[in-house]
Amino acid sequence: MSTGPDREPVRERRTPLGHGPTRVLGVDWEAVRTVMRKDVTAVRRSKPIVLPMLLVPLVLILALPVSVGLMAANAPTDAVAGALSSPMLRTLAEPILELPERERLVVLVLGYLLSPLLLVIPLMVSAVLAADAFAGEKERRTLETLLHLPVPDRDLFLAKVLGAFLPAVVITWASSLGYLVVANAVAWPTLGRLFLPFAQWTVMIVWVAPAVGLLALGLLVIVSSRARTTQEANQLGGAVILPLIFLAAAQASALLLAPVPAVLATGGLTWLFAVALVALSARRFTRDRMATTA
Amino acid sequence: MSAAIETEDLTRSFASGVAVDRVSLRLERGRVLALLGPNGAGKTTTVRLLNGVLRADAGRARVLGFDPTTEGDEVRRRTGVLTEGAGLDDRLTTRENLEFTARLRGLGRRQARSRVDEMLERFGMAERADDLTQGFSTGQRKRVALARALLHDPEVLFLDEPTSGLDPAGTRDVIELIQGLASEGRTIVLATHFLGEAGRLADEMAVLHRGRLRAFGPPGVLAKGIWDGVAAHLELGAPAEPDTVAALGAVPGVLEAQAAPDGARLRVRDRDVVPRVVAALVGREIPVYGASTHAPTLEDVYFEIERRILAETGDTSLIDGFSDRYRGLDA
Repeated sequence: MSTGPDREPVRERRTPLGHGPTRVLGVDWEAVRTVMRKDVTAVRRSKPIVLPMLLVPLVLILALPVSVGLMAANAPTDAVAGALSSPMLRTLAEPILELPERERLVVLVLGYLLSPLLLVIPLMVSAVLAADAFAGEKERRTLETLLHLPVPDRDLFLAKVLGAFLPAVVITWASSLGYLVVANAVAWPTLGRLFLPFAQWTVMIVWVAPAVGLLALGLLVIVSSRARTTQEANQLGGAVILPLIFLAAAQASALLLAPVPAVLATGGLTWLFAVALVALSARRFTRDRMATTA
Repeated sequence: MSAAIETEDLTRSFASGVAVDRVSLRLERGRVLALLGPNGAGKTTTVRLLNGVLRADAGRARVLGFDPTTEGDEVRRRTGVLTEGAGLDDRLTTRENLEFTARLRGLGRRQARSRVDEMLERFGMAERADDLTQGFSTGQRKRVALARALLHDPEVLFLDEPTSGLDPAGTRDVIELIQGLASEGRTIVLATHFLGEAGRLADEMAVLHRGRLRAFGPPGVLAKGIWDGVAAHLELGAPAEPDTVAALGAVPGVLEAQAAPDGARLRVRDRDVVPRVVAALVGREIPVYGASTHAPTLEDVYFEIERRILAETGDTSLIDGFSDRYRGLDA
């Protein structure tokens, strides 16, 4: 018979190399860190991902505040008074109207109209990274390999979510710091003092912006689990994220004029929605589902 | 000690239909199983079920004594998988791809590094360790993926189409690598539709057809169940004349005789019948230029099974009976 080599069954048991997971709070953090590190390394080498993540913050922290801020500094001083003449806006805009006339427009533009655009950064960065982390794995055909590794579904999901969320927060905070410096520098000749950060601005950046990033992430994860390519995820995600961007940018101006507790509460609500969305995504993230949509 | 792999009525369906249908088999440790079947037969789904990537709709499975559905991570810690598409992240270097896997398999940083070096050396990829895998040939990708599958020295290996897309030299290299792995006593499940490689490597074969296990067992055992006796070939310099064929059929021990382009094809009870056949022809002054017996290959067995399935597809009860008849478990 020429069929097959003649081998005796081997009886000794092999012990695989590598230890079992060390869990803290039920999570194998070493595995989570490894997946995150890999994702960040891979993303850093991907121009289509890095370019928008660099360009958008650069426009927001440099180009816009310099150009628009300088125009505002040189605009007629009575322009802002007319804009804020309605009774409701007068109440909300009290912090601006309290300022000397020549300072109002610069503070309004740099502090209240352009600052909210910083919320675009966590939205965009977390959406782009989530699309790459979930749909991108399918597109590159690396997901199957990942699913065959001894990492629990929950740890895998956590790694993917944190791998998109933490860079989004870091980039947002770094960009905000950059904006802080540029906006103060542009306003300095008019104001002669630092006007950023003020309390609401700080709460928006530190508390609301990460929540907005997580919200976008939750939406993108749901979309990505259905999409087969990053492009598809971005297109589907764009339909969901873009309205969110407009909403965030539009509402944040009013948010910055609201009392600090209101800003805190808005952030809290956003966190609640975001966590609920991510929890929903986590429940749907199973090996079986990932493998069958890959 | 438990079997390497054991399944009982393992079943999984998708929206498109049943992918794996009541598959029952038992593979002892250290054996090489060729999981055969046409595209869509259920080979990859079976591998995914066995490694706990997919959940079974019904039935049960055990891999090294662990249930892939409830103890998936325990199974995956002990198995290595080569997926059909290699699954390398092209934005990472060879070393980064491997170290990522090694770390997720619980190897410490230093141990991971030295193990990766060792595997790259073994698979001839040490010189490309720090190159991005983008642009690697299919053969190089398979080598890296095989190295990755072996990082943790797994007891069971699932190899899904390990030679697809390879040129002949690459195919030979990979087959030799797998032969080396088999000789180390690993249990290997080879899902493939390349019968040549399966024939060279497999101790056991399982034929899947539309998710059903149509045959399972050592190819030799299956062959004995399919054909009586031994195939023989007589080289006569020309097709055997009808009266020669009749004379051959009359020799005691000849079960079947028919003309072939350069002589005659026979099926004889055993190889001892061949000298008598030659003597009978010489007695009739028919020149015999050569005579040989031919053991059926895994390929012969597979195609005979497929042929019978196709011939019988109009009658599912016949297929079921056929399946039961040729199960190696019963042999």
